[in-house]
Amino acid sequence: MKKENKIQGFKAPEDYFENFEERLFYKIAEENFPESSGFKIPENYFADLENRLLAVVEAPKTKSKVIPLFRTKHIAAVAAVAASLIIGISIFKNPDTNTTIDSLQLATIDNYIDAGNLNLDFYELTSYISDEDISNLDMQHLQLEDAEIEAYLFENTSETILNEP
Amino acid sequence: MNVVVEERELVTALQTKEAKEEAFRELVSQYRERLYWQIRNMVLDHDDADDVLQNTFIKVFRNIDSFKGESKLHTWMYRIAANESITFLNNKAKRNNVSIDNLKDSAVSRLESDVYFEGDAMQLQFQKAIATLPERQRLIFTMKYFEDHTYEELSKILETSVGGLKSSYHIAVKKITEFIKTNETL
Repeated sequence: MKKENKIQGFKAPEDYFENFEERLFYKIAEENFPESSGFKIPENYFADLENRLLAVVEAPKTKSKVIPLFRTKHIAAVAAVAASLIIGISIFKNPDTNTTIDSLQLATIDNYIDAGNLNLDFYELTSYISDEDISNLDMQHLQLEDAEIEAYLFENTSETILNEP
Repeated sequence: MNVVVEERELVTALQTKEAKEEAFRELVSQYRERLYWQIRNMVLDHDDADDVLQNTFIKVFRNIDSFKGESKLHTWMYRIAANESITFLNNKAKRNNVSIDNLKDSAVSRLESDVYFEGDAMQLQFQKAIATLPERQRLIFTMKYFEDHTYEELSKILETSVGGLKSSYHIAVKKITEFIKTNETL
């Protein structure tokens, strides 16, 4: 019976013997690496570390100043201007008023306003609007999409307003 | 078994409002040196290591309530320290507008004149060699070589397979050996 050289049932990983010398070489090299890193620390460095850490973690949290992109009071002012403009235009366009302005004249007025020639202060403009005028408004046509209001505010809010503390 | 019980009790105390401060002091006292040296071996400079060590403990303090005990406490902390070290280096490189390799080169070149480096020429060469390794590999090498973690512990800390870690470590040894050999003949 031929003598078996290998121990029954065991096997070695592939290339184990092929790579053995290289691995041994680097293992020996590693043995020659310096044992320590060479770093040192200041004297008593660790002594008060806990106190320093606790001072940080237990410090009252200071709220960082948050500058909102839009100030509520300014939004209100700009929204009021936007609403006044809309109401003003609606009144001019309102077919149920008792004015005798015919459609051609209305179109002329629209074009005049659209071209930015209306030099009225909006607050002055609203002084011409009565409660009756407001109640006669067709509110359906005044419904604006949020996106339209946002777009107006973005285009008409100055940086000065935004940057005020 | 005792270590496990101790840790569990420490975690319970850390998660209890009245006991948190004292437990935190105990935690810092137990782990400060191990974590410091793990971090220092990565960032090299003492002041930087101090920053990262503080960040690590602060993170532990602030997140201890969400620690579920899925890993051991010390495993979790070593992992935080490892991540904080690498994040610190990346941020420092970005702030200085340099690559992380350039950052490491500068840090290593400053070692010779660093009052908190007392190594000889061989140790300096060794640090230069380690600095050439990619970050993850450098982390694996320094944690295995200097901190003497087992591969099983490292596997849990770094969430990498033992086989992957062994391979990375052996490649690191090879690179360091070649670097030292090349530079000693210059």
